[in-house]
Order: sequence, then C-alpha cells, then structure tokens
Amino acid sequence: MNGVLTTCGFCSCGCALYIEVSNGCIKGLFPSVNHPVSTGRLCIKGWSLTSSITCADRLRTPLIRRGSSLEPGSWDEAISLTVSALRKSSSNFGVKSLGVIGSAKMTNEECYSLVKFARSVLGTPNIDGSCRFYDASLIQALLQTTGIPASEIEISAIAKARSILIVGANVRDQLPHIGSRIEEAVRNGCQVVAADPRTFTIAPHVRLFLHPRPGKDLAWIRALLKTIIDRKLYHEDVPKMSGFSELCSSLNGVAMDRLNDETGVDPTLVAEAAKVLTEKSPPVVMFGLGVLQQSNSTEIVKALANIALLLGGSVIPLRGHNNAQGSSDLGMAHDFLPGYTPLSDSEAMRAWEQAWDCPLPQLPGLSAPDMIRACEAGDIKSLLVFGENLVLSAPDPRKTVSALEHLDFLGVSELYYTETAALADVVFPACSFLEKDGTFTNIERRVQRVRKVLEPLGEAKSDLWILAELASVLGKSISRDPVEVLAEVSAHVSQYADVSYQGLDEAWGRPWQSNGAKRKFAPVNGHSGGRDPEYPFQLIASRIHFHQQTGTMSLRSPVLSREYPEAFAELNGEDAKKLGLRPGSLITISSRSGSLARNLLLNDSLPQGCIHVPNFFAGDSPNRLASYECDPSSGVPIYKGCAVKVEAVK
Amino acid sequence: MKINGVAGALILKKSDAGIFLEGLGRDFRIIAPRRHLMGDIMFGAIQCPEEVVWDYGHDLYPPKRFFLPHYENLFRYRYEAGGVELEKVKDAPQQAIIGVRSCDVSAIQFQGGFFGSPTVDPYYKSRLDNTVLFSLVCNEPPRKECFCICCDSGPYLDVGFDVQLTDLGDRFLYQIGSEKGAKATESVELLLTKAEEGDLAERRRIEAHADSRFETIGYLAKAIIFTSENRVPEELWEELGSTCFRCGACTNLCPVCTCFTVEDRKDADGYFMRCRSWDSCQFSGFTREASGHNPRPTFGSRLLRRFYHKASYQYILRDGRHGCVGCGRCITCCLTDLGVPTVIKRVRRELPEYLEAQQKEKEG
Repeated sequence: MNGVLTTCGFCSCGCALYIEVSNGCIKGLFPSVNHPVSTGRLCIKGWSLTSSITCADRLRTPLIRRGSSLEPGSWDEAISLTVSALRKSSSNFGVKSLGVIGSAKMTNEECYSLVKFARSVLGTPNIDGSCRFYDASLIQALLQTTGIPASEIEISAIAKARSILIVGANVRDQLPHIGSRIEEAVRNGCQVVAADPRTFTIAPHVRLFLHPRPGKDLAWIRALLKTIIDRKLYHEDVPKMSGFSELCSSLNGVAMDRLNDETGVDPTLVAEAAKVLTEKSPPVVMFGLGVLQQSNSTEIVKALANIALLLGGSVIPLRGHNNAQGSSDLGMAHDFLPGYTPLSDSEAMRAWEQAWDCPLPQLPGLSAPDMIRACEAGDIKSLLVFGENLVLSAPDPRKTVSALEHLDFLGVSELYYTETAALADVVFPACSFLEKDGTFTNIERRVQRVRKVLEPLGEAKSDLWILAELASVLGKSISRDPVEVLAEVSAHVSQYADVSYQGLDEAWGRPWQSNGAKRKFAPVNGHSGGRDPEYPFQLIASRIHFHQQTGTMSLRSPVLSREYPEAFAELNGEDAKKLGLRPGSLITISSRSGSLARNLLLNDSLPQGCIHVPNFFAGDSPNRLASYECDPSSGVPIYKGCAVKVEAVK
Repeated sequence: MKINGVAGALILKKSDAGIFLEGLGRDFRIIAPRRHLMGDIMFGAIQCPEEVVWDYGHDLYPPKRFFLPHYENLFRYRYEAGGVELEKVKDAPQQAIIGVRSCDVSAIQFQGGFFGSPTVDPYYKSRLDNTVLFSLVCNEPPRKECFCICCDSGPYLDVGFDVQLTDLGDRFLYQIGSEKGAKATESVELLLTKAEEGDLAERRRIEAHADSRFETIGYLAKAIIFTSENRVPEELWEELGSTCFRCGACTNLCPVCTCFTVEDRKDADGYFMRCRSWDSCQFSGFTREASGHNPRPTFGSRLLRRFYHKASYQYILRDGRHGCVGCGRCITCCLTDLGVPTVIKRVRRELPEYLEAQQKEKEG
C-alpha cells in the first residue's frame, strides 16, 4: 500500500497528492510536501477527492437506449451504434450536422485526441469544450494583450507580489492555494485591491474593496485604466508599446461623473485603487468567473490585462476546471487549432493537415452554446458529449433538454448517470482520472502527470480508449496509448515541445514556455446593458466553497455534500424589508428564462438591488435564470448580472 | 530479551541494519520511511532494507493511519430474507513500524488510550496489539515547526516505546521499552551487543544538543489555564476562526486527533460496506444534529473545540496528557496560520488586551 503520486482533479491549481491503495480500495490520500503548489497542503476538495469518485452508482457498463429506457449493453454494440448514427447524419446532412463537446476535466491526451477525432476523423468544425460555459472569454482577450492565454507567473510567485488586484473571484473559497499565497504576500507587505459585489473572506487582507453592481465591471475597470493613463501613472516606456494610442482613444467615452450611478463605484475609490497599484507596482492582476461570464467579458479581460501591462505587472486568470488550461492549449475550441493556431493561418493549417494526414475544415465551427441551439433548430443531428453535464452547465436547462431531445443521436461519456446522460441514446461508462494515465496542465501552464491508481470500475474505459475505438471503426487511427499521444502533441504543439512522460517522472513539470509572445495593448470598448424595470434585481451567481462545477463529483462526497444541507439565497436586509420578506422564508427568484425557489438569508454586506444565489446540488443552479444570450466576442453565456425579480412564494 | 533502561541499552551496528530488518521481516510486515518521487517522504511497506531512509527528518502523513486508517472498511452486510448477513473485514497484519518519531509514538499512546477505554474499539486494538513500534530519536529537531519539547513528547522518550533507536553515527543505541519490543527483538538478538559507557555518553550529548535546537515554541501552560477555565473571549475565537480555510487538514494530519465518521456504501454486488474515515470537528456538518440544531454553529466555536481538545484539564485528567504532541504538522498543512503555536500565542498575548478593552467598555 505505497502511495501513487498523481494530480488533483478538482481545481486548476493542480496540487500533487499521493493516494494509497490496498486490495483495490483507497486507504489514504495526502499532499506532496515538495510539490511547488501543494507544499504539504490541500483544500477540502482535495482531501475529499477519492470519496467523490468511487461511489456505487458509477456507471459500469455501456447503456443503450431501447425505447424509452436506457439498458446495459456491450461495448461492441455501443461503439457500432454510435458509428452508424454518426455515419448516417454525416451522409444525409453533411459533416456540419455532427457536433462534439468535450470537458476540461479530461487529460491532455484525451483533449487532443478529441479535437483530432472531431476535426480529422469526423471532419466537422463543430468541436468545443466545457470552458465555453465557464471561462473561455479570457482566451482571445489574452492572446490580444499579454500574448499568453494563461497565467504569466507561477502560483508561488504570488507570495512575493508587491500589490495584487483581484476582480470577480472568491479566491479563498474557490482556489484556496491562491488565497493562501495572497495572505502570505500580505504578510510580506503586499497591498491588495479587490472588486466584487460581495465581500469575501479575503476582505481582512484587502486594503481597498470595491463593490461594483453585478455585471457592471467593464465601466469601472475602464475608469481605472483612464485614471492610470490620464495621471501618467504608467511606466515611462509604455507609450512606445504597440497599441497604446488605440487603447487611449478607446477610453474617450469614459464618464467619471456617471460612474457611481452606473456601477455603484465612486470615482474617488477608483483613483485610490490606481494610487495603491502604482505605488506598489508591479501588480499581479487576477480575475475569476465573476467577470468571465458577463455580456462584455472579453472587453473586461482586455481591460484588466491592459492594467497589468501599463504598470509592468502580470496576469493570472483564475480558472475552474482542473484541465481548463490544457484543454484550451490543445485546441478544444471551435475557433482555433491546438497551440492556439488561428484557423486563418493557412500555413499552420497545412501543417496540421499533414500531421493528421487529411484535409481539415477551414472555417470556425459552432461554439458549444451555438451547437445546442443548432440541435434545437435541427441543424445538428448527432452530438457526442464527453464528460460534461450540459443540462446543468449550459444556461436554461429547459431549453437545453428540449434541444438535446431534438437530436437523432446523442452519445455521452460519463462517470455517473447525469441529467445529460439520461437523455442519451448511448452512454459510455468512463474512467475517472484515478483509473488512467495522462497529464493535466494547471493554471501556471505546468504540465503534470496523472497516474493510474485504481483499476477501472466495472467495464469503464478511458475517453482516450473510446475515441480510439470509434476512430478505428470509422477507418482512422487514434492511439490508445497516452505516451504515444503525448509524443504526438510534443511533436506538433510548440508549447508542449519539451514535455515527455520520462521528463515528468524525473521532475515536477515546468510551465510551458511562451515562445516569445509579445505584449501589446488592445483597445477596450465600453458598452453596457440597461435595466429591466420588470426584473429590478441583479443576480450574483456563485458557488459555495464545498461545490465544484455542476456537482457530479462533489455531490457524492459525504463531507462536501454535508456542509450546506439547504440551498439559500441572500439579500440585503433593506431590500428584504422593502419586499416584506422575512429571513428563513421561501422566495422565488425569476428571470425571463426561468425561476427557482430558495430559503432567504439576510446579508447586509451585499449591495442593495442584488440577490446572491449560489449553485447547489442536483440541478438547483442559478444557471436556470440565465438565457442563451452570450458575450458576443467569446460566446460565453451571460450567467452574471442577469436581471431577476424576487417574490415571496405564494 | 528484557525491557532495559538507558543503562542496559544495546547496540545495533548500522552495517547490520539490513540483516536486522530482514530478520524482523520474517515475522512482521516492515513499515518504514521511504523516499518517493521528487523527494517526498512517507512511511510504507518496504521490499528491501535499502529502501529505508534513516535520516528522513519528519513525514507529513502521520503513522496513526496504520491503526486508524484514513479510509477503512469495517464489515460488509446484506439484507437476507432471514435477517442480515455479515462478513467481517480482517485487516490487522503483524507489523513493525521502523523509525517512528517520538512525538508520533506519544500520539499513538494517547490514541491507544482513547480507543481502548471505556469501550474498546476492536479494529484499533487488534492493529495496535499486532504492531511493534521502533521509534527513532531526533538528534536534531527535524523541522523548524517542531515543538515536541513543549509537549513532553520528544525529541526522545523515556517510556512508551516498544524499541527506541538513537543514531550514534555508525551504530544505533537500542533500548527495549516493552514486552512487545522484547519479544520482537528475540529473533534478531544475535546482532545486538551491550552498549559501552562511551555510547551512553554520546546519547547524553545528543539529548542536550537536540533540546537546545528548537525554533518553535508552544506556550501550552498558559493556554491550558485559559482554555480550561473558558477565559478566552468568544470574539477572539471568532476572529481566528474567520481566517480558517475549512480544509480540515489540521485534524486529518494531527497524530492525536481521533474523530471519524461512518458511512454505509453500497457495493456493486448488492452488499453494503460499513466504511470508517477520518472526519473533522472543524466542519459544521460534523456536529449538526438531525433536527438541524448545531452545538458548534460558527467557525469560532469549532476552533475553540479544537483547542479545547488540544489544551484543557479535562483531557489531561481523562487521558493522562493534553491533546498535542508538538509535531508541527498543523503548521505545515494550514493554508493560513492557525497552527497550534500561533493560536496559543494569540490567546496568551491578546487575552489581557481583550479583557482590558472589555473592562473599559463596561466602565465607559
């Protein structure tokens, strides 16, 4: 029963931990002391990792739809049914009638193979990843500014920061290792400026906490940019940097006098924030889902990256999924190829066609939300979903379910019988990351080993095996061996050129190199929606400390699922008084898309006019209040700042 | 072989350590500190004596897991027409744990008492009965977080070990401290010789040296008085509790903490497995009652609970010692700064200030 070293599969910090197994049962789990992120520490999700994964209700055999029910079947039947459905849609309606959506929980080898499968085996441009429902808005924005769609520094470097700007991220709860490093930095004299509608537990360490209204971040961040530029607080060589004048002129419309009314942030606080960040420059600028799921998230990320560039600082995007970084790096997106290669780069496209030995679709495909819309419209006929519970992660579950019901064929690869799996024609029982080998890439760009700890449960197979099997029946070749796949990745994706299994067994992975990415400013255009008088409250959608993503895993951990037994929503006491609502009473929160009921708690640290609705298990999610409206630049649905109304349950 | 004090101690040459372990290995599964990838140290079953890292410093994952496993299957059952069919799970091998630090031996002693009375936990007891502890004196506090010297649990032991080894350079001083230790030594006694006066002098020098090298201090005496008499204001516990990251690592990795939960997990074959796993008094769900009432509803009240256990008369009276052995793991594993010494320092230093402020408020 000696420990096997692997990487945590919950968040994007990528802690290294050991798992001890005896006779096929997990006996122990503990963090690596020497690993640069875990340093002998884990958060509660890490500590609860194994109990979420090996539950009795794990899928153990393929499930095949027979009439209205899903029944156990063989792998042969599952694979051949899937292949014939894909062939049928493709020959009747063309390759654009096929769609593939993957998960950022998959290993790098699986993400890469999924992209290869969609683009080269199926020949469809419709491939996207679960990041589209979370944080994909940062990718193009950072490519246009820092040039690295990832964190520019290592997590350990946060502890040495002189100042930190945290926007839209409950760091202590959601990414405890980042929160912990921020505290360390503060103990070393760092000054922190934070901004979010809510007050988080990091607050005692924050010098200045701004509370913009939900969904209104772009306006105050533009004001901060303008303040830094107007007062010439930037480094002296900044004006020589590419894009500076375009940035300056894009900020002409910033109206400081209307800022307070528009966003709830006083301009004097913006000036104070500029002062703190310049006096203690260079700052580390970090941001999370709070600003990545708004109507103008791409502009917000550009604005935040510009702040880092003006003050010579660095950017850390705070992503959620364990392999959000790797899945993006390896091209699990509708609008670029592995290594962030633009589809418009014809030379690179030719190189990929050569590598995969077939012509590839040249134009961007549909993003994940657009694929779901296209299912409803009848344009997509067959959809494969790997490891993502779309019904809960996409907005408006009623619309999502109805769209998926329109399909001729839905294939789902999952650990558990999720709401999405229940709609499928074929369900593949997938291996968890404890049952397979591979790599994950954390937010520092550190590629790390995932090692097989347990034998697959029942007949479960890795997503890589499933993809290879499908490809083989379709007459193409995808390797089942993660070592071979990683070798292929390192041969073709420049960022991963130095990565090999042998190297990763000899040292902790190193962050991939940025290949001389050039930093440049990008213009930041401002636009913000008006208010809807019928839906006067603004939604603050969040996740509580003990939950992760849609809850498929965290729901099953006895410790994680136990901490908050009842779903709640929070209002400021003044708002509750005006509405005649008592604490503890049942309220309905509704938007133009949907509604949900919650028990009311009062929280006077919330700004008035907002309601805080955390995500709960079993689909009790504020995503129900969101529509399929997306950030136009990135296609990420708008989950934050939705207009809602609040009433007592009659 | 007989129990011997320092004066009657024996010598095991390091060059014979391999044969010694192979000899022991005929009767016992040998658990020892091993170095894993990238230098992490952990205790585990060894295949050959060369795997043992004698100068390992200190490990993070406490050896309590060899008695109270982090995850443990207790028994399996299923409902039958005639009642319930039970299958016991047997998992208590004869084992020798080599190189356990003094603080951890003290913690195992404490836990043995807790699980031994008034109700005997048969799972814990069978493992404890089947285990021989070969403790290893710290010639130097292995980490800067160590404060066992403040907790009467190290860096060396006078009692409580089965066998205690002291590294004297090319040899170990070999002290037998229990009948179990004496019996385990019988099969390898040919390798042991009587210690000379020079060996004992060297051991005394090591003791004095180790005692003088501690960097972390836990002022337990004051904390024991303050927490036992409930003199620490609630506000201070709440303030400290509000900084907690709620990871539960302090209790998971505490070699003394005993809290566990049980859960019946359904197996794929229709049986249910009664599973026991470590749990933590730092979670709200740990103490929440079925009615929804929680006797420890706030972070502060749960932190108080932890420190009440670490430092209060009640446990000294009941278990013979306070609930901290000064291993320092709660410092290493904490995502913020709520290790025992820091909290005790806050309690000790700030209590007078709090009381003064309260007094002023009353007067004002």
